[in-house]
Amino acid sequence: MAVRTIDVRERVLARNDEIAVRVRARLAAAGVPAFNLVSSPGSGKTLLLERTLAELGAELRIAVVTGDVQTQNDADRLARHTDRLVQAVVTNGACHLDARQVEAALDAIDLPRTDLLFIENVGNLVCPAAWDLGESAKIALFSVTEGEDKPSKYPKMFRAARWVVFTKLDLLPHVPFNLARAVALARAVNPSLGFLMTSSIAHHGLGEWFSFCRANARRGVWV
Amino acid sequence: MSVALEVCRLAEERLGPATDTLVAIGVTVGDDAGVEPGNLQFCLEALLAEPPFRGATPRILREPGDGLHLSYLEIADHGRQDD
Repeated sequence: MAVRTIDVRERVLARNDEIAVRVRARLAAAGVPAFNLVSSPGSGKTLLLERTLAELGAELRIAVVTGDVQTQNDADRLARHTDRLVQAVVTNGACHLDARQVEAALDAIDLPRTDLLFIENVGNLVCPAAWDLGESAKIALFSVTEGEDKPSKYPKMFRAARWVVFTKLDLLPHVPFNLARAVALARAVNPSLGFLMTSSIAHHGLGEWFSFCRANARRGVWV
Repeated sequence: MSVALEVCRLAEERLGPATDTLVAIGVTVGDDAGVEPGNLQFCLEALLAEPPFRGATPRILREPGDGLHLSYLEIADHGRQDD
């Protein structure tokens, strides 16, 4: 049997990236900044969003797209804090959201009446780093219950992120987590990262996070 | 798995009704692509064992950088009527 080779050299994620460009253009046309929250599972993405909706929900028109592997639990939690639409995407086993899912979710969101969009990605530090969703920026949540060497282990995610939000800082006295070293390792991977320090349980640092959200709502340039 | 699915989708797009002629598929994975080559190999083996494929072999190629490409397709060439 003769075998013939067809040279292809096509980017595997080219189709996703084309859709991400469309999503980004759509959000830009509506003036809606979109932040893609990425992290390990259990780092506190949903609770941070709950606190954000509870504090800012009456002031800013915040929409949320949540991605969960198998349930709508996160979306149900968030929906208790807002009348705004919370779009749940169940990924049916996939370890990340993709641009097609976000584009479909946007169809149900009234973008002209939205000041800020959060996309809560599936908890995973590997796959979501590679999939562009058309967001304005990725925000990586990094809980102090994780190893402080996460930036060294998952450099692609920390390179792709624009900000790191440390979470669960109330647990810092109880865990062997060197915050300064974690910041240094993250900066070594991506010197332009910005950092926020929070504890959603203890309401520590949330004022700075809320200010960050206010400053970025309905802006063409993200700060 | 989603990367493997995307690779298979691209292969189907290229080959059309001739997917059953696929013998091997070459995927180039950058060292910084955030893709574990062994996992991708495993997922591709599982997908390529099922129709419309017929057990094609995935070959993972490494390269520096963060690229992720479908590099080549090897197909069984049974000859054409007008050869």
